[in-house]
Amino acid sequence: MVIAADRRLRRTRKRAGSTGAELWFGAALAFVLLALAALAPWVQTHDPMLGDLTLRFIPPGDAAHWLGTDNLGRDLWSRAVAGLAWSLACALTATLIAASIGTTLGLLAAERDGWVRAIVRQVVDLVLAFPGIVAAICVIAVVGQGFWPLVLTLGLLSWPVFARVVYAEALGILERDFVTAARLAGVNRLRILVGHVLPGLRTTLLVMLAFHFADMLIAESALSFLGIGAPPGDPTWGNMLAESRQFLFRAPWMLFVPAGAIVLAVVIANLLGDGIAVALRGGRDPD
Amino acid sequence: MAATLLRRLRDLATLLFGLTLVLFVMLRFAGDPVVVMAGPDATPEQMALLSEQYGLDRPLPWQFIVYLGNVLTLDFGQSMSTGRPAMSVVLDMLPATLLLTFLALGFTLLVSIPLGAWLGVRRRTLPRRIVSAGVFILQGAPGFVVGLLLIQVFAVRLGWLPSLGYGTVMHWILPTLSLAAFLAPKLTRVLAANVSEAMREDHIRTARASGATPRELLLRHALPNALLGATALVGTQFAFLISGTVVIELLFSWPGIGWLLVESTQTLDFPVVQSVAIVVAILVFTVNLLTDVCFRLLDPRLRAVGR
Repeated sequence: MVIAADRRLRRTRKRAGSTGAELWFGAALAFVLLALAALAPWVQTHDPMLGDLTLRFIPPGDAAHWLGTDNLGRDLWSRAVAGLAWSLACALTATLIAASIGTTLGLLAAERDGWVRAIVRQVVDLVLAFPGIVAAICVIAVVGQGFWPLVLTLGLLSWPVFARVVYAEALGILERDFVTAARLAGVNRLRILVGHVLPGLRTTLLVMLAFHFADMLIAESALSFLGIGAPPGDPTWGNMLAESRQFLFRAPWMLFVPAGAIVLAVVIANLLGDGIAVALRGGRDPD
Repeated sequence: MAATLLRRLRDLATLLFGLTLVLFVMLRFAGDPVVVMAGPDATPEQMALLSEQYGLDRPLPWQFIVYLGNVLTLDFGQSMSTGRPAMSVVLDMLPATLLLTFLALGFTLLVSIPLGAWLGVRRRTLPRRIVSAGVFILQGAPGFVVGLLLIQVFAVRLGWLPSLGYGTVMHWILPTLSLAAFLAPKLTRVLAANVSEAMREDHIRTARASGATPRELLLRHALPNALLGATALVGTQFAFLISGTVVIELLFSWPGIGWLLVESTQTLDFPVVQSVAIVVAILVFTVNLLTDVCFRLLDPRLRAVGR
């Protein structure tokens, strides 16, 4: 037992030393993306919504439009930057919604056995089995397209991931001696969860936030691509991909620009997640 | 084992009930099925007649109970747009989706296992780094983006492969690759991590000390362990893969249930939507069950305990 723990510790130290670079690299790139999104109005060279029909289908490399223009003569760089701001805002909000619901229910299920746990488990199974695309279409039919309907749909459909992991890890922490000690000292249940269990989940949650953020970026662009995410015509990556489909032959750059943007953003989020996992835990996330 | 199965089946029944209820309420909020069925030119009299005919004039809870009773006798209602039995519409399209899913899963395993094993045993050399970085970038590329890029290259530019439809084996290639893009990079990375973890275990050191070749070390000792973890991943990711088929099927006009789901939701064809959801839930349940069984068969440690 002691030997195994010691070996694990040594392994952790050995890896942590060599891979801190990954985290810094990811963090630096994430910072650049955030800055681009925050400064979007100043970084854009043109109005992302306004096209000039005399300037249609300009290939990348043009002096005024360095990433080219689309079928309506809109500047693709400006649209990609506007899409970045939208994607980051959507993915971040949806991730926070999912994390709050999932963590709360996961902690609750870990602490209360019996019917609370049974209900949480059933709801988790239900949400996991629920066809998300149906929910997205129905939400649009009822309240229309927009930021909040989209973000709430994404958040409300994706929290079980957090609930499952938090539940499993919290169960382990609740059996530890310091929790028993706190319980015997008369600390109430809520304070044990918030003050003793939650801090122990910090590493796991940070890693999950990064990976979930990446998943939400993908989900948002997929829904927008299908026409059931962002309002049509808005400058988002999913919409840009959908628009590019009619001009695959005429203007392939209309596809390459948003495709590159999505891959770049998701890779950076994954890099950040990996970096946090390796730096704080000394191992890769198993999932 | 029998008790576990029984408990699982009870969970599935609860799940199907919850699923049906939530979908029922959600779709009724989204629109009035009578308006959909009657079309834009219907008179109020026609609409009243239709709603009486389908029992849509009764209170909602009553309608739900009637629907549930029908489902229990395996009557899933008629499609509102075609009038055919909803379940047979779904079952007709299920093979196309299963074909796509299993092609993608097969391709994933075919690529991920050797690649993951290779990445796992290799030291940090330059080729390994390049491949590893490539896998990492591919993991950031969503399946439908990969699909669009494949269409651009192989269908539009080179004209080698068709991009739409289902007819021949040539039609299968691009959708399979696109769907595999959802899972293959992730599985490769998990396998690589598992293999490199397993290679450091004590029993590997023992085997190496007693003269096993590197090849034997990998194939007989490290890989089986690593595959065990990968089996669990494939099981949990199957649901994810099925939802991935939705966007891939729409992208390639693949006539499967993902395509059907979107189509029927948009026309508020309530019985078909319900049937798709039920079929998918049962499918995912079955795969998870099979994964568990495989797990027990593959892992001698679980055989003894038999939880």
